[in-house]
Amino acid sequence: MNVSEVISITKPVGLDNDIDSDVEMSDSENQAQDSFKQSIVTPGELVTDDPIWMKGHGTYFLEDRTFSSVAGNISRVNRLLSVIPLKGRYQPETGDHIVGRITEVGNKRWKVDIGTKQDAVLMLGSVNLPGGVLRRKSESDELQMRNFLKEGDLLNAEVQTIFNNGIASLHTRSLKYGKLRNGMFLKVPSSLVIKSKNHSYDLPGNVSIVLGVNGYIWLYKTSTGINSATNTSVTSNTNMFRASVDTTGSYAIGQGSVSITRLEEESSWEIYSDKNDPNISNSVRSNITRYNNVLRAMSFCELGITEQRIIMGYEASLSYSNIGSLIDKESMESICQDIINNEKMRG
Amino acid sequence: MELYSPEGLRIDGRRWNEIRNFECRINTHPNSSDGSSYIEQGNTKVICVVQGPMEPALRSQANSNEATLEVNLSVANFSTTERKKRSKSEKRMVQLKTTLERTFQQSVMCNLYPRTLIRIDLHVLSQDGGMLAACTNAMTLALIDAGVSMYDYVAAMTAGLHDQTPLLDMNGLEENDMSTLTIGVIGKSEKLSLLMLEDKIPLDRLESVLAIAIAGSHKIRDLMDSEVRRHGNIRSSKLAS
Repeated sequence: MNVSEVISITKPVGLDNDIDSDVEMSDSENQAQDSFKQSIVTPGELVTDDPIWMKGHGTYFLEDRTFSSVAGNISRVNRLLSVIPLKGRYQPETGDHIVGRITEVGNKRWKVDIGTKQDAVLMLGSVNLPGGVLRRKSESDELQMRNFLKEGDLLNAEVQTIFNNGIASLHTRSLKYGKLRNGMFLKVPSSLVIKSKNHSYDLPGNVSIVLGVNGYIWLYKTSTGINSATNTSVTSNTNMFRASVDTTGSYAIGQGSVSITRLEEESSWEIYSDKNDPNISNSVRSNITRYNNVLRAMSFCELGITEQRIIMGYEASLSYSNIGSLIDKESMESICQDIINNEKMRG
Repeated sequence: MELYSPEGLRIDGRRWNEIRNFECRINTHPNSSDGSSYIEQGNTKVICVVQGPMEPALRSQANSNEATLEVNLSVANFSTTERKKRSKSEKRMVQLKTTLERTFQQSVMCNLYPRTLIRIDLHVLSQDGGMLAACTNAMTLALIDAGVSMYDYVAAMTAGLHDQTPLLDMNGLEENDMSTLTIGVIGKSEKLSLLMLEDKIPLDRLESVLAIAIAGSHKIRDLMDSEVRRHGNIRSSKLAS
């Protein structure tokens, strides 16, 4: 009995391919495929037996040889050899624009779910509080942290640093960051979001998007002009002031004061309001849903997501009058095909 | 009923060293999980879904040195010919669950993910022998799909002994009548991370049974590897833009 021989039955898929490649494939195509195959490694595969390489993420070192520990592509940066997994949880990097959801209010910090292995932290010191940037955080701020952000609130923020233990620290110290309103949330695999300079865009159809690098997406109504925003902020500012005086009976520093610069006005209580804009028209609502379904189609077909592709997908989707039918399997595939064709035409 | 005929054929027409039809898919549930897989080993069918590494729901699950692996094994009521209600607290279920957890605690690089939880849900849809082996293979694929670092594949296979002949990849009927050995092999090596024998095998025969089981596991590893590569190539070709 020869033990090394095991008979296995599988579908003859490989056979078909071989025949095809013999007949149709040209040499150059074959070569391209070969080099492609080389670039993918699977766990336990020998990457190199040259000890000169430093081992990075996704590799391990045994008896002077480096093996891969994940399925992915090899990346070489100088002497550093790492394997980037094809799929996996989002790995935060400093400067990433992300969307997250508050999971816990703790001591001077919020815990934020951003799709990483461990929840990120948002320190009280790294948010803009009502009353301008220059004000100091007082004890009363610590006590009313839930008035700013509470469990379940969505916000967009930037990764400030990564601590040694891998936990990300966020900040919202800019006007473009903060609590999210007037829209809907959507989650796609983070590997599909292609990093770019800017991650928040105004799209056609009066819809804006925050395309978080972590794959969390916020679609919302494009905010109208600065003027109306300041007006509402001033009025609600005073309203909030009265309300907070009524409830707490104490006066927090900077609360309710009308400031001179726009930055200070914008960072008033308005930015932490839970109220949606009352006049979001039906057309905007349906456009938001349309974008939502386009993005779902792109994630279904595992297409990388960029601003341009979203717009192309939106244009392709306009031929479907029924937005709900966009997420039928056939329509999703045809939309993605349209995007790819469109991209090829533009070159 | 004849389990092994004089002509060398088994009850389902296989030879002694023949494995059943093996099919696997990864990334079957891309939207609801971090990693997922589906395995058919003959008529044994298993779905595996991995969540994580993620923030544990309970503080007690957070270990500051390494990741916690949580395996939930559920066997469908309709998985055998006879419909039967099964509870998760059944002794055999708890045993299988613990076996799987211990097997993977060694092959997954848990030290890379401190204070996190990796939850693995296994659903056995149909069982016809080799359930533990199928669960192990499904877990390996789902963990690879989830991008969790592992030292190598863990490929599992069953083998049994009929008189003097070792038989590879037992089906349900054979498993009922013979003593069955389940092993999990690390990659292409001959290192075992899982060994389970629920009955007796004479010591002088064990070696030949082990040898054929290891060879079978290597075959399974190759089949799983080709599926991972197939899917990986499709994936990376779509991402490159």
